Amino acid sequence: MSTAKVKMREKKMRNQPVSVQFPSGGRAPGDGTEPPLFWLVFGGLNAASSPAGIFMTVPFAKARAAEVSAMLKAVTKTTASCHVFEALPKHMRRRAMSHNTKRLQASRKARRRHGNLLLEFNRRQRKNIWLETHIWHAKRFHMVKKWGYCLGDRPTYKCYRPCFRAMSSHCLLQDLSYYCCIELQGEEEQLLSSLSQLTSKEAGPTFAAGLSLSGRRQGSLVVYRAGRYPSLPLGPVTFLWRPRAQGSGLRQLWIWAHPTMKKDLLPELQSVCQCCEAVLPPVVPVMTPAEVVPTQEPEPEKTPEATPVTGTKRKQPCGDATGPPAKKILGDGTRSPTTPVTWRSSSTGIVINDLTMEIVRYRLIGPQSHSVLAETLEAATDCDVRTMTLPSSLWWPEHCKDESKMTLHIQQADLYHILKGVYSTGELPSGTVLGLTVDDPRLTIPPKKLKAMPCVKQAQGHVRSATISFSDIPVSKSRDECVCRQQELNRMRSQVLVPGSRLSPTPLQGRVPVLLVHQPGKQVGHEMSSWGAGWDLLLPKGWGMAFWVPLVYRGVRIAGLKMSLKHSQSKGTPHFPHDYPDCPAGAGFQEEQEGELLDKFKRRPPAKRTNYIKHGCLAPFRCPWQQLAEEWELISGEGGEGRKGDGAAMEEQMTSRGEITPQRHVTVLRSRKSLRLLSGWCRPTTSKGQRPCRVGEVPPLDRSAAAPFLAAHGMTLAWARLSLLSKGKPELHAMVSVPTAEDLQLLSRGPGSNGPQEPPHRDHFKSRTKKKKKKTTTSKSSKTEVKESDPPSAFEPNSSTSGDLVLGVWPDPLPSVTSHCSRLTLGWVTQGDFSLSAGCGEALGFVSVAGLLHTLLNQPREHRGTLLLRNPTSLHYRFAKINIEV
Amino acid sequence: MAAPVHTEATPAAIEMDPVEYTLRKRLPRKLPKRRNDVYVNMKTDFRAQLARCQKLLEGGGHREICVHGLGLAINRAINIALQLQASSQGALQLAANTSTVELVDDLEPDDPDEAREPMTRTRNNSAIHIKVFYPDPQ
Repeated sequence: MSTAKVKMREKKMRNQPVSVQFPSGGRAPGDGTEPPLFWLVFGGLNAASSPAGIFMTVPFAKARAAEVSAMLKAVTKTTASCHVFEALPKHMRRRAMSHNTKRLQASRKARRRHGNLLLEFNRRQRKNIWLETHIWHAKRFHMVKKWGYCLGDRPTYKCYRPCFRAMSSHCLLQDLSYYCCIELQGEEEQLLSSLSQLTSKEAGPTFAAGLSLSGRRQGSLVVYRAGRYPSLPLGPVTFLWRPRAQGSGLRQLWIWAHPTMKKDLLPELQSVCQCCEAVLPPVVPVMTPAEVVPTQEPEPEKTPEATPVTGTKRKQPCGDATGPPAKKILGDGTRSPTTPVTWRSSSTGIVINDLTMEIVRYRLIGPQSHSVLAETLEAATDCDVRTMTLPSSLWWPEHCKDESKMTLHIQQADLYHILKGVYSTGELPSGTVLGLTVDDPRLTIPPKKLKAMPCVKQAQGHVRSATISFSDIPVSKSRDECVCRQQELNRMRSQVLVPGSRLSPTPLQGRVPVLLVHQPGKQVGHEMSSWGAGWDLLLPKGWGMAFWVPLVYRGVRIAGLKMSLKHSQSKGTPHFPHDYPDCPAGAGFQEEQEGELLDKFKRRPPAKRTNYIKHGCLAPFRCPWQQLAEEWELISGEGGEGRKGDGAAMEEQMTSRGEITPQRHVTVLRSRKSLRLLSGWCRPTTSKGQRPCRVGEVPPLDRSAAAPFLAAHGMTLAWARLSLLSKGKPELHAMVSVPTAEDLQLLSRGPGSNGPQEPPHRDHFKSRTKKKKKKTTTSKSSKTEVKESDPPSAFEPNSSTSGDLVLGVWPDPLPSVTSHCSRLTLGWVTQGDFSLSAGCGEALGFVSVAGLLHTLLNQPREHRGTLLLRNPTSLHYRFAKINIEV
Repeated sequence: MAAPVHTEATPAAIEMDPVEYTLRKRLPRKLPKRRNDVYVNMKTDFRAQLARCQKLLEGGGHREICVHGLGLAINRAINIALQLQASSQGALQLAANTSTVELVDDLEPDDPDEAREPMTRTRNNSAIHIKVFYPDPQ
């Protein structure tokens, strides 16, 4: 008998009276072979010791009474005591428990208790870090888990047009705290010489640009691998130098990067600065993620505490031991908890600090964002003399005692007041940095949500250039321990004499150093300049919610990741990581996107799918940039052979370069000078292509001018904006094609003319897909048979790829991407939509530089820059005007 | 802060090479905008702007509106005001004011090698503000 059966038997026998015995042997009583209970009852007569014929009533009844009570006991008690689940009343049973009994839920009351709630929150953000505004967002947004964070994607309410309206006329707010900040400290020359390896002057201002080096402006650039410009880019960063301190050569630099890029950037920075010695923390925290240790001493560098999210779960002030355990989250989305965050170099003296999740960053977009800021933030009020004399552990009273710091504060406050008089954010010089110390904005929160409007004084001139050194945001200091609790403020508010008036006196811990960084709006192109300009608000961590809610109460719209994509689309700038196909993060993103789109496609029933093969769309879910650039280089090379000498020289050049780097990777053209040249050749026009724009002197486009350009940038892609001339809405991965001469005649016939049509293609794979399906259902046969039965075609796919045929999508070795359709393909669209600002369909994408030059050279002057655009799901080409904006 | 270089004062000093500098025009300073202020531009269709003014005067219930035009748009602002007056059969009156608006351009050096100070160029442009109103009955 197995052990389980023994156990079962024991359990059954537990409540049996000793007089009743089941025979052992693995058989249950009553299966026919063993005497059942009633047999015992009557058969027992024979077994009884009483003489035959005499029925002893009393002992008989006694024995039966014992049996009856045993039966009753067995009936009333639930037999399967191994299931806690079944012991519960029905209304408390949960389906999850039937799978795993240990998931017995506590009561809601217990779950919602503060301490338990915190534990639950800690558990849930162990894998994907929450921002400080997470709970606020989770109530209102569709959340996505991306890049190790939980981020709001889009609001649950309708928001597309309201958000655009907010961006163009009022203010849109966004939480960008997931951006990673890396701090570099060291001698200025050392830093600049190390960092110069990562950038190139050709691609615009570098780290050494005068304006940003002085600390007055924020700079932005694209970082490359050390010394590998222009082949290996990493991605875009923004940076901020701290102004020079008096009599010290030490400088401090903050570099802000996207989390997907940080894992590439940080090792690169370490290698150029020769910073490889990890500085071990003074107290190495040995903690597993499971244990929650309330640590009171501030050591945020080592174990960055994820800061509290709402007012109710705000961090406990120091010394408050009675409260629930302080939240302790180890690590963040981009690193494991045990890795060091500080590195020092012995040779160069540079220190690298990873400040991820140490600084809260909010972005306000729109012309009224400074009005919102001006209403929300008030320059910090001074301490009165009484408190100043007393020694204090808080930072503000100490700060007040320092004369020089106070004069700086007064200067900053004055400048801030001037800013209040500005009508639109776009009037300010782009990238201005302004440091300020402000009062806790919760003190002045209005009782009702209202819309912040500008108050303009007529008499003011332009704000020329803000020259205020920024006050430091307390990083790795204990200042954030002093965040006043919401509860405390609510109590104070309830005691105010006039409801809704400002709380006074200001609590001592209610001063926050903040940093305001102006974000330039649309800088490229000729139209809508400064559209989408705004401010970034940088705060010390822990203050997130204290600033978020007051900002929301000023009538701003809140947006998620989706709207930031639309923002950069309207600005005409590439968005990271979507539009950086040559960066590792961008390539990763494209793969991920392809998988997602393909999965979505496969979920449709085959009969309802778009057959992309029939539409002549080779790669509906990705863009094979490398193949495109290689093919175009070949085509343009063939075109060059017709010329004498010139073409041969170019050929030679190409081969010589080919020897140096046999596998050339496609890159995006970022050299400002070349882009400007290319832009001029495209005959820039206004968005719908009606009026030409004035441009500076551009050498005329001919073969002699194009040849050196091609030789230098043959394998590159150019970021371009395409506006449709008539109706139509471009979609993701729409094809950019070259119009033929007949197409251009069609265009000159009239403005309302529609574009040409692509003849439908034949799907040679359909029969194979069906056959394969049939085969898998019936029996497996050799794949050679499949091959033989196929109609002979130029694109004979090998047997390995026919394994993963998807109906409607080309299998992997793609044929020539350029010449697959009736019109040559130049590139693909990465962002396309109806543009609310231009009033026509607009697309942003990349085109091959070689292909574009080839096209422009062959086009007549009046039609230069007119291309065709075709959606993957359509056969209809639409005319579009290309603009390369620098 | 960089000393702004004035065009009028030293034309030779800012003889700039378009290759070395990027010119970025800042937005003109806007005045506070009431409901009956119309800023005329050259991008929007003329008829649409005219219709907007007419709507304000007739449907909007405003007794007066202000039409502002800057630079190239001065012509268009005048045109709109005159069209409004003509279409009202003399019921509307005009009062024009001119002013000068200070505009700022930022010159960003393309060569980041030179850690030179950024230049701003201040120039002036003319503007017109036309009040279009129904005169009082007396």
